[in-house]
Amino acid sequence: MSEIVNLANDIFQPLIKLGAPAMMFIVLTLLAIAMRVKVSKAIEGGLKLAIALTAIGQIINLLTSNFSVALQAFVKSTGIHLSITDLGWAPVATITWGSMYTLFFLLILVILNVIMLAINKTDTLDVDIFDVWHPAFCGILILYYSHNNLLLATCFVIILGTLKLMNSDLMKPTFNDLLDMPDSNPTTTTHLNYMMNPIIMVFDRIFDKCFSFLDKYDFDAATLNNRIGFWGSKFAIGAYLGVFIGVLGRQTVVQIFTLAFIGATCLELFSFIGSWFISAVEPLSQGITNFLSKRLKGRKFNIGIDWPFIAGRAEIWAVANIMAPVLIVVALILPGNGILPLGGIIAMGITPALLVVTRGKMIRMIIIGVFEIPIFLWAGTAIAPCVTALAKTIGAFPKGVATGTLISHSTCEGPVEKYLSILIGKFGGNPSLQSGAIVVLALVAYLLLFFWYAKQMQKRNAEYARVAKLADK
Amino acid sequence: MIKILAACGAGVNSSHQIKDAIETEMKKRGYTVKADAVMIKDINEDMVGQYDIFTPISKPKLSFEVKIPIVEAGPILYRIPSMAEPVYDEVEKVIKKFSLK
Repeated sequence: MSEIVNLANDIFQPLIKLGAPAMMFIVLTLLAIAMRVKVSKAIEGGLKLAIALTAIGQIINLLTSNFSVALQAFVKSTGIHLSITDLGWAPVATITWGSMYTLFFLLILVILNVIMLAINKTDTLDVDIFDVWHPAFCGILILYYSHNNLLLATCFVIILGTLKLMNSDLMKPTFNDLLDMPDSNPTTTTHLNYMMNPIIMVFDRIFDKCFSFLDKYDFDAATLNNRIGFWGSKFAIGAYLGVFIGVLGRQTVVQIFTLAFIGATCLELFSFIGSWFISAVEPLSQGITNFLSKRLKGRKFNIGIDWPFIAGRAEIWAVANIMAPVLIVVALILPGNGILPLGGIIAMGITPALLVVTRGKMIRMIIIGVFEIPIFLWAGTAIAPCVTALAKTIGAFPKGVATGTLISHSTCEGPVEKYLSILIGKFGGNPSLQSGAIVVLALVAYLLLFFWYAKQMQKRNAEYARVAKLADK
Repeated sequence: MIKILAACGAGVNSSHQIKDAIETEMKKRGYTVKADAVMIKDINEDMVGQYDIFTPISKPKLSFEVKIPIVEAGPILYRIPSMAEPVYDEVEKVIKKFSLK
């Protein structure tokens, strides 16, 4: 393994010296060409990634340079230590795609998918190349804490990839149910946010046993969303948060207005720029899909895409809307939390899994969601040093900001996997009997919970099959 | 100009793929279309009213009745041309049926 790393370093060091945007422009373009993408398309993709990286760096700069001072004043005047700037998913995804390791983990996961399909351990062909950044970020966390132990990181990414594919098969009948899709529709997803399903399932079972009477208070999500209207949109929320931080940080009126408008601007621009880098990976995604589907002729499979094909279910947004203010309150009072929700306040990383497990029971989604918030906030706090370091290595971190400033994502998908990665990474960095035992115990607990959940889902799926059979008769 | 509204979770990934694919394919078929990609939660009756065709990934649950034709565009996301073809055909059928320009 170390020879590979050294060889890679010799080849890539001159490239890395060019800076992340230039490096990724060259690497992504070449990779797409290698996947038989048309040269002009490949260059278009590479260029888009380079400008997305450059642009996201500028917006991070705009946000942190304005907010970090106010956040420090906020800490001083309130005594609440929430100094980590929450950027939401787009910047974290972009800087993760700015790392060459992400491409390496992508390769590993594509090979894993082909093998699992070939030996019939999954029915899912994952074409959601863009979301590879989630498991890749877990790998990068391990690298960060283990002083670049690529073997450990790769092993965990493989475990995660395997479970995600299994989960995608397990959820397929539920997606058909939630969206009225016929069995012939191949849509499913391997998105990391659904790896919270096992924990949600535990809560859901507690509900079944003790609180099922609450289900009758469920209400219509679409109507609620309509009432909230633009007040729940990104720029509106950005503006509230600017005012909130400004007022509690005792800033002047001028500064409060500035914070409100900058918060709103950044929240809008983050996802706008996010769309550039998604279209940057597009030619590569198409190339990989062409390559895979050509080799899988005759094999029937489901297709894993990004999670939002269920975003048409109004519950996802109604619950995200309700959770936004709760998220702030919990952040303020939760011990050990260092992050004040800003970019990640519309909790799209939390609500889809709630919908899948509860199958749209609103009250359960809200209550379980609130119980989950601490897990996400603590994970957001825990990953902040690594996110900040990664942003610095790819040059997306503003130089003018105080050195202690940290950035992160408050509702990052896969919080449990983030903890596991940190544990594994710390073990790799400083192997001892104790840290090894902790890793083994944590992994065993994680896997046991997953397999218990898998059993529950198999029961659910058997029930779907039974009902479908009855309907046929 | 035929105006198409695509929508997904963040208005960033899936809806952009649908937007780009439909724009490219319809141009090939000789139509002038302009598609916009938005976050599905930001959609309201006024917004939908400004478009000719709505192309969500799958059947959405909205609090109002969508009065323009809906074409489910999910299969575009599989990135397998033969599976996306029926979606384009459906869009073309709608364009012809309502003689959209």
